[in-house]
Amino acid sequence: MRLKAAVHYTVGCLCEEVASDKEIQFSKQTIAAISEMTFRQCENFAKDLEMFARHAKRSTVNTEDVKLLARRSNSLLKYITEKNEEIAQLNLERKAKKKKKSEDRNKNSRESAEDGEVDNEN
Amino acid sequence: MEGAGFRKELVGKLLRLHFQDSGTRVSGDALQLMAELLKIFVTEAAVRGARQAQAEDVALVGVDQLEKVLPQLVGGHGGCR
Repeated sequence: MRLKAAVHYTVGCLCEEVASDKEIQFSKQTIAAISEMTFRQCENFAKDLEMFARHAKRSTVNTEDVKLLARRSNSLLKYITEKNEEIAQLNLERKAKKKKKSEDRNKNSRESAEDGEVDNEN
Repeated sequence: MEGAGFRKELVGKLLRLHFQDSGTRVSGDALQLMAELLKIFVTEAAVRGARQAQAEDVALVGVDQLEKVLPQLVGGHGGCR
Protein backbone atom coordinates (compact mmCIF):
# COMPACT_ATOMS: atom_id res chain seq x y z
CA MET A 1 0.00 0.00 0.00
CA ARG A 2 1.49 3.26 -1.12
CA LEU A 3 0.07 5.22 1.79
CA LYS A 4 1.97 3.07 4.27
CA ALA A 5 5.13 3.51 2.24
CA ALA A 6 4.67 7.27 2.27
CA VAL A 7 4.17 7.24 6.03
CA HIS A 8 7.22 5.03 6.42
CA TYR A 9 9.31 7.47 4.41
CA THR A 10 8.27 10.48 6.48
CA VAL A 11 8.78 8.57 9.73
CA GLY A 12 12.25 7.63 8.50
CA CYS A 13 13.08 11.27 7.83
CA LEU A 14 11.84 12.38 11.23
CA CYS A 15 13.79 9.61 13.00
CA GLU A 16 16.85 10.64 11.02
CA GLU A 17 16.56 14.14 12.46
CA VAL A 18 16.29 12.81 16.01
CA ALA A 19 19.16 10.41 15.34
CA SER A 20 21.55 13.15 14.31
CA ASP A 21 20.36 15.39 17.13
CA LYS A 22 20.83 12.73 19.81
CA GLU A 23 23.85 11.15 18.09
CA ILE A 24 22.24 7.74 18.20
CA GLN A 25 20.92 5.27 15.64
CA PHE A 26 17.53 3.73 15.04
CA SER A 27 17.23 0.16 13.89
CA LYS A 28 15.17 -0.51 10.77
CA GLN A 29 12.69 -2.47 12.85
CA THR A 30 12.21 0.49 15.16
CA ILE A 31 11.44 2.83 12.28
CA ALA A 32 9.05 0.25 10.88
CA ALA A 33 7.38 -0.13 14.28
CA ILE A 34 6.91 3.62 14.73
CA SER A 35 5.61 3.84 11.19
CA GLU A 36 3.11 1.05 11.76
CA MET A 37 1.98 2.60 15.03
CA THR A 38 1.50 5.99 13.39
CA PHE A 39 -0.50 4.46 10.58
CA ARG A 40 -2.75 2.70 13.07
CA GLN A 41 -3.16 5.81 15.20
CA CYS A 42 -4.50 7.63 12.16
CA GLU A 43 -7.51 5.36 12.24
CA ASN A 44 -8.27 6.43 15.82
CA PHE A 45 -7.65 10.07 14.97
CA ALA A 46 -9.84 9.94 11.89
CA LYS A 47 -12.75 8.32 13.68
CA ASP A 48 -12.53 10.75 16.59
CA LEU A 49 -12.29 13.76 14.28
CA GLU A 50 -15.28 12.63 12.30
CA MET A 51 -17.27 12.13 15.49
CA PHE A 52 -16.33 15.55 16.82
CA ALA A 53 -17.40 17.23 13.60
CA ARG A 54 -20.63 15.28 13.44
CA HIS A 55 -21.34 16.17 17.07
CA ALA A 56 -21.06 19.82 16.09
CA LYS A 57 -23.37 19.10 13.17
CA ARG A 58 -20.65 19.71 10.60
CA SER A 59 -19.52 17.57 7.72
CA THR A 60 -16.13 19.26 7.52
CA VAL A 61 -13.52 18.60 10.19
CA ASN A 62 -11.93 21.87 11.32
CA THR A 63 -9.14 22.98 13.63
CA GLU A 64 -11.39 22.96 16.70
CA ASP A 65 -11.82 19.22 16.21
CA VAL A 66 -8.06 18.75 15.96
CA LYS A 67 -7.56 20.75 19.16
CA LEU A 68 -10.06 18.51 20.89
CA LEU A 69 -8.00 15.56 19.75
CA ALA A 70 -4.91 17.06 21.41
CA ARG A 71 -6.61 17.62 24.77
CA ARG A 72 -4.93 14.58 26.39
CA SER A 73 -1.83 16.53 27.29
CA ASN A 74 -1.65 20.15 28.39
CA SER A 75 1.67 20.81 26.73
CA LEU A 76 0.53 19.13 23.52
CA LEU A 77 -2.68 21.14 23.50
CA LYS A 78 -0.74 24.34 24.09
CA TYR A 79 1.68 23.54 21.27
CA ILE A 80 -1.11 22.67 18.87
CA THR A 81 -3.08 25.79 19.75
CA GLU A 82 -0.01 27.93 19.07
CA LYS A 83 0.63 26.13 15.79
CA ASN A 84 -2.97 26.74 14.83
CA GLU A 85 -2.55 30.48 15.35
CA GLU A 86 0.69 30.41 13.37
CA ILE A 87 -1.04 28.66 10.49
CA ALA A 88 -4.02 31.01 10.58
CA GLN A 89 -1.69 34.01 10.57
CA LEU A 90 0.34 32.58 7.66
CA ASN A 91 -2.81 31.95 5.63
CA LEU A 92 -4.06 35.46 6.32
CA GLU A 93 -0.80 36.89 5.03
CA ARG A 94 -0.92 34.65 2.00
CA LYS A 95 -4.48 35.66 1.24
CA ALA A 96 -3.60 39.33 1.58
CA LYS A 97 -0.74 38.86 -0.87
CA LYS A 98 -2.97 37.01 -3.31
CA LYS A 99 -5.66 39.66 -3.04
CA LYS A 100 -3.16 42.35 -3.78
CA LYS A 101 -1.79 40.39 -6.74
CA SER A 102 -5.23 39.86 -8.23
CA GLU A 103 -6.08 43.52 -7.72
CA ASP A 104 -2.97 44.43 -9.65
CA ARG A 105 -3.88 41.91 -12.31
CA ASN A 106 -7.39 43.31 -12.61
CA LYS A 107 -5.95 46.75 -12.96
CA ASN A 108 -3.67 45.55 -15.76
CA SER A 109 -6.39 43.55 -17.50
CA ARG A 110 -8.72 46.51 -17.40
CA GLU A 111 -6.08 48.57 -19.12
CA SER A 112 -5.41 45.89 -21.75
CA ALA A 113 -9.15 45.32 -22.30
CA GLU A 114 -9.20 48.59 -24.12
CA ASP A 115 -6.96 46.92 -26.73
CA GLY A 116 -9.82 44.51 -27.42
CA GLU A 117 -8.66 41.49 -25.46
CA VAL A 118 -10.85 38.67 -24.21
CA ASP A 119 -13.04 39.75 -21.34
CA ASN A 120 -14.20 37.42 -18.58
CA GLU A 121 -17.81 37.12 -17.57
CA ASN A 122 -17.05 37.23 -13.86
CA MET B 1 8.03 24.69 8.67
CA GLU B 2 11.54 23.37 9.03
CA GLY B 3 12.72 19.83 8.60
CA ALA B 4 10.81 16.74 7.60
CA GLY B 5 7.09 16.46 8.02
CA PHE B 6 3.84 15.00 6.75
CA ARG B 7 2.45 16.49 3.56
CA LYS B 8 -1.11 17.78 3.70
CA GLU B 9 -2.06 15.53 0.83
CA LEU B 10 -0.84 12.45 2.66
CA VAL B 11 -2.60 13.41 5.88
CA GLY B 12 -5.85 13.93 4.01
CA LYS B 13 -5.64 10.51 2.39
CA LEU B 14 -4.80 8.86 5.69
CA LEU B 15 -7.80 10.36 7.41
CA ARG B 16 -10.27 9.81 4.60
CA LEU B 17 -9.25 6.16 4.58
CA HIS B 18 -11.00 5.72 7.91
CA PHE B 19 -13.98 8.05 7.75
CA GLN B 20 -17.26 6.24 8.15
CA ASP B 21 -19.16 8.82 6.13
CA SER B 22 -17.94 9.45 2.59
CA GLY B 23 -19.19 13.03 2.86
CA THR B 24 -16.82 13.96 5.67
CA ARG B 25 -14.18 16.48 4.65
CA VAL B 26 -11.25 18.14 6.34
CA SER B 27 -10.46 21.84 6.17
CA GLY B 28 -7.04 22.87 4.90
CA ASP B 29 -6.08 24.36 8.24
CA ALA B 30 -7.12 21.20 10.05
CA LEU B 31 -4.95 19.18 7.67
CA GLN B 32 -1.97 21.37 8.42
CA LEU B 33 -2.62 21.06 12.12
CA MET B 34 -2.95 17.30 11.90
CA ALA B 35 0.34 17.18 10.03
CA GLU B 36 1.90 18.95 13.01
CA LEU B 37 0.24 16.56 15.43
CA LEU B 38 1.51 13.52 13.57
CA LYS B 39 4.98 15.02 13.41
CA ILE B 40 4.98 15.46 17.19
CA PHE B 41 3.68 11.94 17.62
CA VAL B 42 6.49 10.40 15.61
CA THR B 43 9.18 12.68 17.02
CA GLU B 44 8.07 11.95 20.56
CA ALA B 45 8.26 8.21 19.96
CA ALA B 46 11.73 8.58 18.47
CA VAL B 47 13.00 10.86 21.24
CA ARG B 48 11.67 8.64 24.02
CA GLY B 49 13.18 5.61 22.33
CA ALA B 50 16.48 7.42 22.08
CA ARG B 51 16.36 8.42 25.74
CA GLN B 52 15.62 4.83 26.72
CA ALA B 53 18.57 3.62 24.69
CA GLN B 54 20.81 6.22 26.31
CA ALA B 55 19.58 5.17 29.75
CA GLU B 56 20.47 1.58 28.89
CA ASP B 57 23.77 2.75 27.47
CA VAL B 58 23.20 1.25 24.04
CA ALA B 59 24.09 2.95 20.77
CA LEU B 60 21.08 1.68 18.86
CA VAL B 61 17.41 2.26 19.49
CA GLY B 62 15.99 -1.21 18.95
CA VAL B 63 12.50 -2.59 19.35
CA ASP B 64 13.34 -3.57 22.94
CA GLN B 65 13.84 0.06 23.83
CA LEU B 66 10.81 1.16 21.83
CA GLU B 67 8.55 -1.36 23.51
CA LYS B 68 9.31 0.18 26.86
CA VAL B 69 8.25 3.68 25.85
CA LEU B 70 5.33 3.04 23.50
CA PRO B 71 2.60 2.22 26.02
CA GLN B 72 2.82 5.62 27.64
CA LEU B 73 2.75 7.32 24.28
CA VAL B 74 -0.26 5.54 22.89
CA GLY B 75 -2.12 5.08 26.16
CA GLY B 76 -4.72 7.27 27.79
CA HIS B 77 -2.40 9.54 29.72
CA GLY B 78 -0.80 11.89 27.20
CA GLY B 79 2.57 12.55 28.72
CA CYS B 80 4.26 14.80 26.19
CA ARG B 81 6.48 17.24 28.09
